[in-house]
Amino acid sequence: MRGQVRKPFAHVRRFKHRGQRVEAFGVMAMRRLAALVAVVTLFSTLTACSTGERVDLGGESSGNLIAAIAGEPDQLDPHKTSAYFSFEVLENVFDTLVAPDANLEMRPALADSWNVSPDQLTWTFHVRSGVTFHDGSPFTADDVAYSYRRIIDEQLTNSDKFSAVADVSAPNAETVVIRLKQPTPNLLTNLGGFKGMAIVQRRNVESGQIATHPIGTGPFAFSGQKSGDSITLKANPSYWGGPPDVSGVTFRFISEPTTALSALQAGEIDWTDSIPPQRVSQLRDDDSINLAVTASNDYWYLALNEARKPWNDVRVRQAIAYGIDREAIVAATSYGTAAANQLAIPEGNPWYTAYHRYGYDIDKAKSMLAEAGVTDTDLDMLVTSEYPETVTAAQVIADNLAPLGITVNIRTVDFATWLDEQNTGNFDMLMMGWLGNIDPDDFYYAQHHTDGTSNAQKFSDREVDRLLDAGRVESNRQARADIYRRAATKIADQVSYIYLYNPSVIQAWTTGLSGFESRRDGAIRFDTTELARSQTR
Amino acid sequence: MTRLVTHPIARFLARRLLYSAVVLIGVLVVVFALVHLVPGDPVRIALGTRYTPQAYDALRTASGLDKPIVEQFFSYIGSALTGDLGVSFRNGDPVTVILLERLPATISLAVAGIFLALLIAVPAGIWAALHEGRISDAIIRVASQFGVSIPDFWMGILLIALFASTLGWLPTSGYQPLLDNPAGWLRHIVLPALTVGLVAAAIMTRYVRSAVLEVASMGYVRTARSKGLTPRVVTFRHTVRNALIPVLTITGIQLATILGGVIVVEVVFAWPGLGRLVYNAVAARDYPVIQGAVLLIAVLFLLINLIVDLLYAVIDPRIRLS
Repeated sequence: MRGQVRKPFAHVRRFKHRGQRVEAFGVMAMRRLAALVAVVTLFSTLTACSTGERVDLGGESSGNLIAAIAGEPDQLDPHKTSAYFSFEVLENVFDTLVAPDANLEMRPALADSWNVSPDQLTWTFHVRSGVTFHDGSPFTADDVAYSYRRIIDEQLTNSDKFSAVADVSAPNAETVVIRLKQPTPNLLTNLGGFKGMAIVQRRNVESGQIATHPIGTGPFAFSGQKSGDSITLKANPSYWGGPPDVSGVTFRFISEPTTALSALQAGEIDWTDSIPPQRVSQLRDDDSINLAVTASNDYWYLALNEARKPWNDVRVRQAIAYGIDREAIVAATSYGTAAANQLAIPEGNPWYTAYHRYGYDIDKAKSMLAEAGVTDTDLDMLVTSEYPETVTAAQVIADNLAPLGITVNIRTVDFATWLDEQNTGNFDMLMMGWLGNIDPDDFYYAQHHTDGTSNAQKFSDREVDRLLDAGRVESNRQARADIYRRAATKIADQVSYIYLYNPSVIQAWTTGLSGFESRRDGAIRFDTTELARSQTR
Repeated sequence: MTRLVTHPIARFLARRLLYSAVVLIGVLVVVFALVHLVPGDPVRIALGTRYTPQAYDALRTASGLDKPIVEQFFSYIGSALTGDLGVSFRNGDPVTVILLERLPATISLAVAGIFLALLIAVPAGIWAALHEGRISDAIIRVASQFGVSIPDFWMGILLIALFASTLGWLPTSGYQPLLDNPAGWLRHIVLPALTVGLVAAAIMTRYVRSAVLEVASMGYVRTARSKGLTPRVVTFRHTVRNALIPVLTITGIQLATILGGVIVVEVVFAWPGLGRLVYNAVAARDYPVIQGAVLLIAVLFLLINLIVDLLYAVIDPRIRLS
C-alpha cells in the first residue's frame, strides 16, 4: 500500500533521465501554449457580453421584471409570516376581500360589493364571480370563510383583527356574512389593510404547501424559489383585474444597498427599494433612473418604561420629550428623507392631528426634571442592530440628554433578544417603529390601551382607555375622528410614546419601467407596470 | 476481511471516523445548548411585534418548543442519527433540503477562491522567499500586509465599482448554478472569488514565504546547490516540495473557513451561500437550521482535515498514516 501512496511521484523520478526531461519540457511548452489559449478564450467570453448584461435566470423568466428586495422572505404563508420581505412578494400573489387604493381608502377587490345591517352588526359581502386560483380552481365565498376561520381558529398572528367577529359564514358561493359582537367601523381596514388577511386556498394549506408554494388569486402566480437568491412569479393571464403587462416578476434578494444600486445602474435589475439613504440626494439629480421618496404612514417612537422609577412620573417623561432634538435625529437616521412629527400620523392623512407641544427646549426640560426632583440618573436604552436607525438615533439621544444629567447607556442587541427584553420589561427606554398604519384603532389600541397587547411601556390612562374603546365602535366618521384626535393628544401629553418621525418609502427603478406607483403604505404592486426592454441598457 | 481491517489506511480511516463521530456528537451537544441558552425566542420573532398571547402559545406548541429541553434534545439526536435534521421553523422545509440547496454555491465559491489564492500566493511567496530582503520581497510583503488588513466588504464594493459599474465586464451580484449555465456561473463567481481569494492569498503568501525560507536554510539544500544542480532544480525539487506541508495546512484551514461561510462577501455579492443562511437562521432563532448548518460545517471541516492528512503522506512519504 505504501507503494500506492507514493505512486503520484513516479513521474518525478522519470525526470532524472535527460532524454525524457527534454521531451517533458516540450510537452510543458505545448501545455503552456494551450493554457494561454484557454485563458485568452475564457477572458474574451467573460468580457464579450456588453455592459450591464442582464442576469439570465433561465428561459422561462428571461423577460421578467427584476426587482431587488433587501432580504429573503422567511416563508410565504401570508397568514403566518410577519416579515416585510414576505409581504413584498405576497402583495403580488394574493388578494384580500377589499384593498386600499392610493389614498388608503378601502375599495372592492375579491368582494365587488357589500352592505351593513342597520345595527352595524352584520356585514354581507358579495364576492366577485369568475375568479380562479392560480391552479385553475374556482374561487368562492367558501374560500373567504375558510381563510378567516383559519386565522381565528388557529390563533394566527393576525387573529386580533377579528377580535370583534362572532361568526364568519358562506351561506352560498357568492355571499360571505360576517357577524360582529360590537359595531366595528374599521372592519374593512382590518380585512383589507394588508396581505396578512389574504384569501388562501384550503387545498394549498392542507397539503402543507402554502409556506413554500403559495397559490393565490392575485396578478402573479408563484413559479419558483432559489434559496438565498430569488423568487420568481409569472403573470396570471386570467387575473380578474386584467392580466399584467409584464410576463413575470423575479425578486432577487440583495441586502447590500450599494450592490443593489450598482445592479440597477448597470441595468441588471429594473427596480429596487434597497437604497443607501445617504445616496438619495445625489440620485435625485440622476436622470438615468427614477427615484421616488414617498412620505409614509410608518412612524418611529421612543417609549419610557412606566413600571420603573423615575419614568413613571409624567414630568420626567415630558422633560425627555422636550430634551430631544427630533431634527437632529431625522438628519442622522435618514439623511433628511424622513419628516419629524410629534404624533403618529403625518400631515395629509385623514387621521392627522396637528400637535407641536414639544419643541426642543433644554431649559424647560431641566426645570421639569428639577420639579420632579430628578438629578443625575442613568437610562438603559434598548436598541437593535436589526434596525440601524435605532442605534444611530440612540447616539443622538445620548448626546441630547447628557446636559440634563441623564446618562444614556445604549444597549444594542439583536432583534430576537430585543423582543425578549421588551416583553419582560427589561429596559428604561426603547425605540421602535410601526409600519403600514391605516386605521387609528390599529396604531393606538394595542400600544396605548391598558390592556393593549403591545403596551410594553405599561402606559395606563383611564381617559385614553375610554376614548380608545369608544373609537373602536363609533361608526360616525366625524365623531370617530374627533375621538382619535383627543386620544392622540392625550397620549402625547401623557407621553406614552415620544413620537419621532415618519420615514419615507424610498424606491428606484429604471427609465424603461413605467406605471409603477410608489405607495405610502409601502405595498409594492407590479400588475400595472410596463417594461420597455430596449430602454434598459 | 482481516487484511482489510489490518490495512494501515483502513485502520487510519476507521480511527478517524470514530474520532469524527465523537467530535460531531460534541458539536451537536454544544450547539444545541448554545442556541437554547442564547436569549431570544423563535416564536416571538416569528410573530413580530403584534400578536395575542393565544397566538404565541399556539405557535410554541406547534414548533414543539413547549416540551422539556432534554426531551427536545434526545428527540433531535434520535432523528439526526437517521439523517433527519428536522424542519425549519420558518417555512417548514426539511433542513437537509435547505442545506443541500445552499451547498453548491458555497463549494463553488470556496474552491474558486482557494484556486485564485493559490495561484497568487504560491508564486508570490516563493518569489519573495528567493529574493529575501530585496525590493520585490518588500513589495510582496507590503502587498500581503495590505491584503490582510483590507476589510473584505470594502474590497468587494471596490471590485463591483470597477469591474461591474465602471468597466461593465462582469455582473454586480448573484449566482448561477455551474451545471445549468457554466458561462453564467463563471461570470458571476469571478468577483466574489477574487474578494475571497485575495484575502486568503494575502494570508497564504506569508506562509509560503516563511516555509520556503525555512527549507532553503536546510543543509540538504546547500548540499544540492554545492553539488552543482541548477537553481531551478534546487528550488522546485528540493526546496518548494519540502515547503509544501505547512502550505497545505494553511490551505486546508483557509478552505474550511470559506466553506463555513463568508457572510460579508455573501452579503455584498448577494451570494446564496451557507454564511447568509446561518446568519439569517441565527437572527430568526431557527434552531433546526442553525443546528443542521453547524453540523454540516463541522462535517466539512473534518473531511478537509482528513484529506489534508492523507495529502501529507502523499507529499512526504516519510509521514506515515499513524
